[in-house]
Amino acid sequence: MPDLIAKSALEGRSLALGGVTLAEVDPGPITSIALYPGGTKTAAKGLRTLGLAMPGPNSFIEKKGARIVWTGREQAFLIGVAPPAIEGAALTDQSDGWAVLALSGVAAVEVLARLVPVDLRLAACPVGTALRTQVNHMNAVILRTGDYGFEILVFRSMARTAWHEIENAMHMVQARAGTKI
Amino acid sequence: MRYSGLKVITEGLFGNRGWTPAWRDPAPKAEYDVVIIGGGGHGLATAYYLAKNHGITNVAVLEKGYLGSGNIGRNTTIVRANYFLPGNSEFYSHSLKLWEGLEAELNYNVMHSQRGLINLFHSDGQRDAFVRRGNAMINQGDDAILLDREGVREHLPYLDFDNTRFPIYGGLLHPRGGTARHDAVAWGYARGADRRGVDLIQNCEVTGIDIEGGVVRGVQTTRGAIRARRVGIVVAGRSSQVAAMAGMRLPIESHVLQAFVTEGLKPVINHVVSFGMGHFYISQSDKGGLVFGGDLDFYASYAARGNLPMVEHVMEAGMTLMPMIGRAKVLRSWGGIMDMTPDGSPIIDRTHVEGLFIDCGWNYGGFKAVPASGWCMAHLMATGEPHEVARKFRLDRFATGHLLDEEGTGSQHNLH
Amino acid sequence: MRLTCPLCGERDRREFYYYGAEDYLHRPSEGAPLSEWDSYLHLRDNVAGVVRDLWYHEAGCAQWLVVTRNTVTHEISGVELVAERAK
Repeated sequence: MPDLIAKSALEGRSLALGGVTLAEVDPGPITSIALYPGGTKTAAKGLRTLGLAMPGPNSFIEKKGARIVWTGREQAFLIGVAPPAIEGAALTDQSDGWAVLALSGVAAVEVLARLVPVDLRLAACPVGTALRTQVNHMNAVILRTGDYGFEILVFRSMARTAWHEIENAMHMVQARAGTKI
Repeated sequence: MRYSGLKVITEGLFGNRGWTPAWRDPAPKAEYDVVIIGGGGHGLATAYYLAKNHGITNVAVLEKGYLGSGNIGRNTTIVRANYFLPGNSEFYSHSLKLWEGLEAELNYNVMHSQRGLINLFHSDGQRDAFVRRGNAMINQGDDAILLDREGVREHLPYLDFDNTRFPIYGGLLHPRGGTARHDAVAWGYARGADRRGVDLIQNCEVTGIDIEGGVVRGVQTTRGAIRARRVGIVVAGRSSQVAAMAGMRLPIESHVLQAFVTEGLKPVINHVVSFGMGHFYISQSDKGGLVFGGDLDFYASYAARGNLPMVEHVMEAGMTLMPMIGRAKVLRSWGGIMDMTPDGSPIIDRTHVEGLFIDCGWNYGGFKAVPASGWCMAHLMATGEPHEVARKFRLDRFATGHLLDEEGTGSQHNLH
Repeated sequence: MRLTCPLCGERDRREFYYYGAEDYLHRPSEGAPLSEWDSYLHLRDNVAGVVRDLWYHEAGCAQWLVVTRNTVTHEISGVELVAERAK
């Protein structure tokens, strides 16, 4: 087995514009947990070793660097830690399939408003929310990580497109901020 | 009254006081030989050819609203014969020949303009498919010319040839394709049918179909019962509802198709241009408006209005193909109700009820079919036998597996 | 048009793919006569009014949904998960 070098999709690049920062982040391992029929209880037992549980729809839970994100009916992504032994669910390594972008700043919500067809304002989308939706025409998982912060998971193959779309939106929001109406 | 250039001039000189209505407004009689339900393009053409080709003039056309108030009055007016499959090919070829003689035939200016239609292709594989289609068209006796990239550029210099996703490799030119004035087609057939004795009865909604012992006896309408030995259902857009009156369940799902018109511009687009990969096509009307459209809204609907995501999609496709149209202002848009069949081809056939016939399922290609549809429906209703060029448009072809799936997308109503 | 996904909440129409009438859920049993297959695949009531049809939350939770809606007004009166319904 040759020694492979782990490379992120965007080489950890970052960009600051108009008080908004976009940066690629390394999320660590990503494991999909998909419950088998009747697997709810045994899977819960496995997750308890991390102090976690299967999250409810549209939410994620964090504990000591481990994060579990709702990604569908009876399905979640465990992010940041290697998965413990879990019975009653199919576990699939997804680590290299995704690129994760962090978007932060007061106007971050305005940047995403140009791309995402869901209301992301804090009242409608509090910290701890996880959404499966779109960034322009790209499927994405969006996490509300802070009052002014989001993380956006897109397919790794679309990382540069996602970056391009978000960067464009950042430019537009910055230009708009400089305009007195 | 016969229309002519001389008539226009003399009427112009004398205050246009001599014009008479183009058709009568008769009250329905108690009985006809034939009743056609639906006063759109296809229904009026059926009545016209029943009288003209078969001498059957004791005919009523029953229209719920006013003549030509459905899709014949709102469409993107394209006339072409560029089909591939046997069954479609001969039918649309026949239709185009009828179009070419229609103005003389009807003594009516339907503004048929054979400006040429160009279907663009964007890959080697697509070129092969278009070569094959072009050969099928030529075999049918119609015309097709394969254009390479430079050939397309000569005709359509304003396109973006180097789009990253869909660079233009060439196009298939169908010189006899073009457009016509949609309303005028309905009016021309209406006037022609009326002059041959057909009663065109407007504001007359059919509310029931009378059937006794498996034989049609007539129809119930909002203007009273009308007896008839033969009844034709020609109501695309409402086919399922009218067929249900005869206890039928059709292989049709109704979908909305949107189209758009810009403000009037100087002549800029001389052809009909079809950008299949972007689901976009465009022509310029004689008034100057750019007339364009795209794909279905993709969900079953009877609301004659479209949704915004499809508006956005069509505009994006238009901008991709010809960035210059970004300067044009859209004047209006509309949504028409399409009879979508599972294979994308129409139905002209008998039904399980003796004397009851149906012409439906025109998907989004009904306009160019109007002359041949009327011709073949009239033949079927007069003789009881399908016309040679429409014999594959059978109602039972889904059950028997003899699909006419021109696009090859399979048995799903919204995929054609 | 907006659909309220039972899992994801109210979402834009763009996130969904439309498949067709609810008839698709009633697959004929093995050995059913051909007429039943014809009816299942091709024939539709095609009502101008309230219908039930199948949608897929393609850009969301990837669930199949039965949507009750009016084809004339586009009013949505119900959205259910096909998965829950089968239980």
